[in-house]
Amino acid sequence: MSTVRVMVAGFLTVASLGGCGYNDLQGMDEDTKAAWSEVVNQYQRRADLIPNLVATVKGYAAHEKETLDSVVQARAQATGIQVTPELLKDPAAFEQFQRAQAGLTSALGRLIAIAENYPNLKADQNFRDLQSQLEGTENRITIARKRYIDRVAEYNKMVRYFPTNLTAKFLLHLAERPNFTVADEKAVAQPPQVKF
Amino acid sequence: MLGLAFCCLCALTSTSIALDVPPLTGRVVDLAQVLPAGDVDALTASLKAHEDHTGNQVAVLIVPSLEGASLEDYSHRVATTWKLGRKGTDNGVLLLIALKERKVRIEVGYGLEGTLTDLRSAHIIRNEIVPRFRAGDVPGGVRAGVDAIFKTIEGTYQAQERPVHRDAAGTSGALQYVFIGIVVGFLAGIVLGQGRSKTRALFGSLLAYLIAQAASIVWGVAAAATTAVLLWLVLRVHRGGGRGRAHDDWAWYSSRGGGWSGGSFDRGFSGGGGDFGGGGASGDW
Repeated sequence: MSTVRVMVAGFLTVASLGGCGYNDLQGMDEDTKAAWSEVVNQYQRRADLIPNLVATVKGYAAHEKETLDSVVQARAQATGIQVTPELLKDPAAFEQFQRAQAGLTSALGRLIAIAENYPNLKADQNFRDLQSQLEGTENRITIARKRYIDRVAEYNKMVRYFPTNLTAKFLLHLAERPNFTVADEKAVAQPPQVKF
Repeated sequence: MLGLAFCCLCALTSTSIALDVPPLTGRVVDLAQVLPAGDVDALTASLKAHEDHTGNQVAVLIVPSLEGASLEDYSHRVATTWKLGRKGTDNGVLLLIALKERKVRIEVGYGLEGTLTDLRSAHIIRNEIVPRFRAGDVPGGVRAGVDAIFKTIEGTYQAQERPVHRDAAGTSGALQYVFIGIVVGFLAGIVLGQGRSKTRALFGSLLAYLIAQAASIVWGVAAAATTAVLLWLVLRVHRGGGRGRAHDDWAWYSSRGGGWSGGSFDRGFSGGGGDFGGGGASGDW
């Protein structure tokens, strides 16, 4: 008889572990982190392209100093932020990261726009290649952000819903995460405009 | 004022109606009907040959118009809905052409981003596709583009004996856990149930649950129940001295094993479960 009791206890323990969302929460926590790495990765990739781009534009339009400087500055600001795991939990730091990246996006947009005024620059093979790579990276950023937004939304739901919120709060100490805002998403989703 | 106008423009473009992803009817989906029938067949044949040879799934989609959707967004939606490329290797490529907007995009799966880079894709569009499109030769441009893509990604991956079938991927994954759970639980139950205490055999059922709940809790319960019933049947027969009967059960059981791993891939074309992260390039003509 006692074996049956052990069996029932075993079933109940395992079933309740499944129901409280312990595994799901852990999995989603990991998923959001992975999605975040992809976002950071793509932003880094963009930052890496910039020195070359600036140098190429300088070769044709050195006197557009203001625009060039603003790109260099925005890049320094964006790469100056330490991307730590704590950043994901701190809405203020997250907001700062988001703003810095959006600033770089708009500075880059202006840089690409002035290229329109320089036919020689526009025809430069190196510039065209850099532009293709930049466009590609902006597109990846959009997708990486979209995926991160989805993951965090799922995760936040799990953290707030009952009964998984109890597991999140008391067992795993997981809190809601800040997400990218839509207003900023629009600014970033807009690829650098080439034609005016 | 200019800023305000820009904001309105942003709002307009981003709230545009989403264009539907067409069904994947073949490797070449020509909704604009600009390719002659012979070209579609030839292209399909070479795309199939390429997949058989390298495992890479390349597909072509030609739409008459994007109907206001953004090229990049639409292209990514199509590629991820069609799931081109193998699951895990993500070696799919989509060549998308929007005739009215005169836009073309090569969407590259994660696994091919290293060979078919954004830059390489941009070069293919710029040097192979656009000049022919500009001259009015759409079929020629598509062919040249596909050939250039082939040349670039050839040798990145080796073809797999049996590509993963998209439809089967979800449930067959779950069924695998259930199957393994039942087999392991059943065997364990038989061993444990050999002694005086037949109830110990129920541990086999618990084991089946533990394994199958990796798929889902419902599957776990189903596996546990099936195992319990099987064990009860077999052990009851066993106790009654009918060893032959138990053997029959076992033979019936093991013969089931080979039944569901087959599946032909050539009946219809479908994506293998590949994923896309936005790699590739766009261009216009």
